[in-house]
Parts: sequence; structure tokens; C-alpha cells
Amino acid sequence: MKNRLKVLRAERNWTQAELAEALDVSRQTINAIETGKFDPSLPLAFRAARLFGLRIEEIFHDEDGRTPATEIK
Amino acid sequence: MLFLSTLLYIKTTNGDIMNQLRAAENGYQSRICTSSIRLLCWSGAWLAATALMRFGPKFLWNQASILTLLAVGLDVAVGVGMILANKKYVMELDELQQKVYLNALGITVGVAVIAGVPFSVMGLYHVIPFHPEIWHLLLLMGLTFMFSIAYGNWRYR
Repeated sequence: MKNRLKVLRAERNWTQAELAEALDVSRQTINAIETGKFDPSLPLAFRAARLFGLRIEEIFHDEDGRTPATEIK
Repeated sequence: MLFLSTLLYIKTTNGDIMNQLRAAENGYQSRICTSSIRLLCWSGAWLAATALMRFGPKFLWNQASILTLLAVGLDVAVGVGMILANKKYVMELDELQQKVYLNALGITVGVAVIAGVPFSVMGLYHVIPFHPEIWHLLLLMGLTFMFSIAYGNWRYR
């Protein structure tokens, strides 16, 4: 699963540690998600979506770029 | 094993423990630091209780049965406390750290079973020049667990 976490974080000038604190996880977890080594759980994805004020599919999407919204269409 | 692995976890993921102690907010790092210290204390207490149970009868109370039974009871009670502290610690971890921990536990149990049975058979048929002891297995499990945690943290660093 790919994600835009690094871009969204950079847009807000947040460090990984700050994002980790906001999402109540370790900095290592943020790094692993950003580098695609680890896929977050649904609750963590929801927390990230709430934090950035976006929908989950606007942050996380499938390896081939498809999101649930595009699949419905 | 838990004592060493907790030390290793603090070293590899949390950085300097004193800095963590200064964390004023009740954030993730602060909670993990508190849990780690609690687990460290329980692990140390269990180690001490086990040493008392093992060496007390010989060096402290001349094999008096009542005192030995009390030492065994104390060891089991402190052991239960350590298990509960470990459970609380794992529940406090975030999802990635729980995954690393679970992987390490899986590898440790696997290695213990795979290595433990042949080791005891070798002892049974005198293939090895010494009698297999339980601490051999505990040592192997401890080392395996520590390396697995270190590998997991390195993999997701």
C-alpha cells in the first residue's frame, strides 16, 4: 500500500517525531509507514485522516494507484 | 530474558532513558517509558527471587523445607507480577512494535522447540559430554528473543 504521509507532513513542516506524537505512535512507526515497510491498521489510518482533514483514500491507496472511490466508479 | 530484552528495547527504540523520564506529557513515549521501567523492575525482582530460591537453601537457610517453600512461593508470585507487567507493556506498544514483538516471540518459541528436543535427546544418549539443563534452553531463548527484537527494530528503523 502506498501513501502520501511524507508529502502531507512536509507540507505542514512537521517532523516525523511531531507526527508520531500527534498520532500517538512511535517515530519508527511513522518512518516505516512513509517508506512503505509497514501498513497501518484501519484505526491508525482513520486517525491520520482526521489529523490531516482528509479522507483515508486521499492518503492511502493501493500499489497500482487505485483507491476504493475509483473502484466504485 | 525479559530484563535483557527490555534493556535492549529501551536502547534501540527509545533513546536515552533519562530524556524519556523528563517527558512531561502523557504521550506514547512517556507511556512506553513508564511501562518499560515497570517491566524492568518486575524482571529484576523476579531475577532476585529466582536467585534466592536457587541459592538460598544452600547458602542462607541450610535447606530448611519451610523457607524453601516460601522462596518458591515468592518466586511464583513475583513471576506472575512480571507476566502481568509484560502483558501491560505489550498492550502499550504501538502496532509496529507489537508486530516486532510478536515476530520475536514466534521465532523464539520455534527455536526453543526445534533446538530443545534434539538437545535433550543428545543428552539422553550421551552424545554431548554434559547433561542438558533448563537454563541452557532459557539462555538460548533469551538470546534468540534479543536478536529477533534487534533485527525487527533494524528492519523497520
